[in-house]
Amino acid sequence: MHEPVEALAERTHDPRQRALIELVLAVTREPWALSPTDRERWHVAGLVDDDLVHAVALSSYFGHLNRIADAVAVPLDYAVALAAPRADRSAPPLAAAPKVARTSRGELTLERRATTAAAIAAWRAYLDTKPGPLARDARVAIARWVAGWLGDSAESVDDGDRDLHRLAELVTLAPWQLDDAAFEPLRARGFDDETLFDACITASSAGAFSRITVALAGLSA
Amino acid sequence: MSLAFVDHAGATGALREIYDRMLARPLPPVYRPQHGGAPGIITAHSLDPEIIPKVFGTSSTLNGAGPLAWHERELVNALTSRLNQCFY
Repeated sequence: MHEPVEALAERTHDPRQRALIELVLAVTREPWALSPTDRERWHVAGLVDDDLVHAVALSSYFGHLNRIADAVAVPLDYAVALAAPRADRSAPPLAAAPKVARTSRGELTLERRATTAAAIAAWRAYLDTKPGPLARDARVAIARWVAGWLGDSAESVDDGDRDLHRLAELVTLAPWQLDDAAFEPLRARGFDDETLFDACITASSAGAFSRITVALAGLSA
Repeated sequence: MSLAFVDHAGATGALREIYDRMLARPLPPVYRPQHGGAPGIITAHSLDPEIIPKVFGTSSTLNGAGPLAWHERELVNALTSRLNQCFY
C-alpha cells in the first residue's frame, strides 16, 4: 500500500537527508536504542550536534501533535485532490523500551536550544500544576508509565487504574488505535471528554518530553 | 466517537481569544487553513484551552527557526506523522 520508510531511506542519495530519515525512524520507534555511534555516523553525513538536537526535539514534538490529532480525529484543513490514506488499525504497536538503567554523559541536551527548553519547561510546569479535571495522582501515574515505555525510567511501574493504563499505552505505543473503543471503558465509568482529553494530553506530552530526554541521552552516552 | 473539540466558529470567551491570538501570529501563508479559522491541530486542543499557548509556543521555537532548513523540518514532521500513521 505505502512504501516503507526504510525503503525511502535506502533510495535517498543525499547523505544528510538520509541521516534525518534514519534519525526520525529511531526517535519515533526506539529512542532508547540511539548511541554515540549514530551520532558519529550522522556527523559524517553532515548533521552537526545542533541539527541533531533540533531534529530530535522536532520529531518528538510532532509525535505529540500526531497523538492529539488522532485522539480528536480532527478534520483536514485543506481541500485535497486525493483522499487521505486511512490508518491501518491492525498495525502492531510500537515496542516498549527494555527495563535497563541508563547513564549519559549529557553532552547533548535540550539546553542547546534555550528557547525550546524554556517553552517545554513552561508546558511541563502547566501540566504539573493544573488542578484537573483528571486527578493529579492519575496524571503522575500516566507520566511514570510513559517514562517506562520510552526508556526514560528503569523503574517498572504498572500499578494503578487499568483502564487509564490501557488508554495511556495506546496513546504512547499505538496512537492509530485511538478510536471509540479506546475511550469506551472510561466513558462507561463516567469520564467526560475533558477528563479523557486530560489523560491523552498527559500521556502524549510526557511521551514527547521522555523521547527528547532518552534520544539525546543515548546519542551522548 | 473520538473526543470532542470546538472549532473557531463555535468558540467563545477565553477559547475564542486564544484562537484569535493564534491566528494573529506570523505564519507563512501556506500554513493558513482554507477555512479561515484556527488550524485543526490547534482546535484539537480545545478541551484544555490554557495548554494551547504552551504547546504552540513550543512549535514556534521548533518550526520557525533553524538550524534545520524549512524543507528539512517538513521532512521530519511528515515522516514522523507517517510512522505514527497520522494522516491529518
